[in-house]
Amino acid sequence: MTAVGLARAIGWKLLGLVAAAAVWEGAVLLFGIRPAYLPRLSTILHAMAATPGAYMDGVLRTLAETLIGFAAGALVGVLNGVAFFRWPTLRDMLFPIFVVSQTIPVIAFGALVVLWFGNTLLAKAVIAFYLTFFPVTVNTLLGLQAVDPRQVALLRSFGATGGGLMLRLQLPAALPQIFVALRLGASLSLVGAIVGEWFGDTTGIGVMLLQAMYTENVVGLWAAILCAAVLGTSFYAAVAAAERRLVFWAAEQ
Amino acid sequence: MSRGAARGLFGAVLLVALWEGAARGFHLPAYTLPAFSDILVSVWTERASLLRAGAVTFAEALSGYAIGSALGIALAMLLVVLPWTRRCAMPALLAINSVPVAAYSPLVLLWLGLGWSSKVAMVALAVGFTVFLSALAGFDRVDRRSVGLLQSFGAGPFAILWRLRVPTALPLIAAGMRVATVRSLIVAIVTEMLGAYGGLGWIIYQAVVQIDFVQVWSAIFVASAISLAFFGLIGAAERRIVFWR
Repeated sequence: MTAVGLARAIGWKLLGLVAAAAVWEGAVLLFGIRPAYLPRLSTILHAMAATPGAYMDGVLRTLAETLIGFAAGALVGVLNGVAFFRWPTLRDMLFPIFVVSQTIPVIAFGALVVLWFGNTLLAKAVIAFYLTFFPVTVNTLLGLQAVDPRQVALLRSFGATGGGLMLRLQLPAALPQIFVALRLGASLSLVGAIVGEWFGDTTGIGVMLLQAMYTENVVGLWAAILCAAVLGTSFYAAVAAAERRLVFWAAEQ
Repeated sequence: MSRGAARGLFGAVLLVALWEGAARGFHLPAYTLPAFSDILVSVWTERASLLRAGAVTFAEALSGYAIGSALGIALAMLLVVLPWTRRCAMPALLAINSVPVAAYSPLVLLWLGLGWSSKVAMVALAVGFTVFLSALAGFDRVDRRSVGLLQSFGAGPFAILWRLRVPTALPLIAAGMRVATVRSLIVAIVTEMLGAYGGLGWIIYQAVVQIDFVQVWSAIFVASAISLAFFGLIGAAERRIVFWR
């Protein structure tokens, strides 16, 4: 995508955002929706502007938990996928256990993690990790299995062995699949971080949600939801941008 | 039994043995890791309350699942048949979907109260979006030439939807609905934890507050078992309905 094209795409997105904001504001005023259900957007933005520090701290804290969990989940997921690909016995033994582990509701797992690690940043990162590593494992394995055997044979004929083959051919070929999981993981890791904060903490988007709920502060609730939306969308967009740079050859598909 | 299944079983047995051995051998306190057998015993002794809670959670998840799936598919159909609705609604739908589902839980609890309706609404929201997105992708997947062929025979948008798009989209819709099973229970439990009068999420939260770790694990076991059973049920239904796959 050229610079002009990118600028134009961003311009359209901004225009869409402004239009959505206008529709929100207008609908609330026009239909007289009670603030208990949906406050005006301007009221919410006003509340956020009144205490920008608190919202900034909360977003940064949740971002840190999400990023640490996501990075660890992506790394362990890819390593798991490679290990499962190399040693099918290991895959047959562990894969069913992984599948069952994913049916444990994240909240229940979160309860255990918080019991183990206390109410620390690490505990939330572990919950985000738990939600990220499984899809990455599955897609790495699928991507590696889909590599064209003729290409493998060609590189082998040039004398490539296990490690070189993996780095030069199999992992790059699996990248598009891996990125599908990473995009999913970007959304899931944020959910993990927010839910993890519900077990008690002092800063973070999850904490802001809970406090606003207990005080029935609908404006504060919507402000926290907006923060979560902005954080989630930016993180997703960052992963998608990394995908476009790294998997440039897949852009045509 | 196939070789893979045998290895899987071996892995599961090994895990349980390691778990039991570690918990008993190192005398791990219950807050680190209760012994596997202790959890099973607790599931059995608490079976009455766990079953009741499981039934509450499953009923919420199932109603939300049915409503969400129906709404998701209906919405996708509407957007496909009337393209102008798609241009209007899609940005708003994507904006709603950009917020992590869990973040809506406190809001829905304030709106609908602590009873079952808030859980059903949350499950319907989460399931609805999953099914809607996969149904829309499925309806869009049809071959343009097939659409052109049917149109040349005088088929309207509804005929094309029914005779071409629905059969083409079924595998994707089914896959989305299969993923949504586990999600429906998770969302029900998450919402119960924030406020409820019963259910597995409520039990888990109470047990955490009372620092009763064996109870936390028992509730997890029951939730996991229900998730797997629901997943298996929908998977079996999928194999019957999408038989050509």
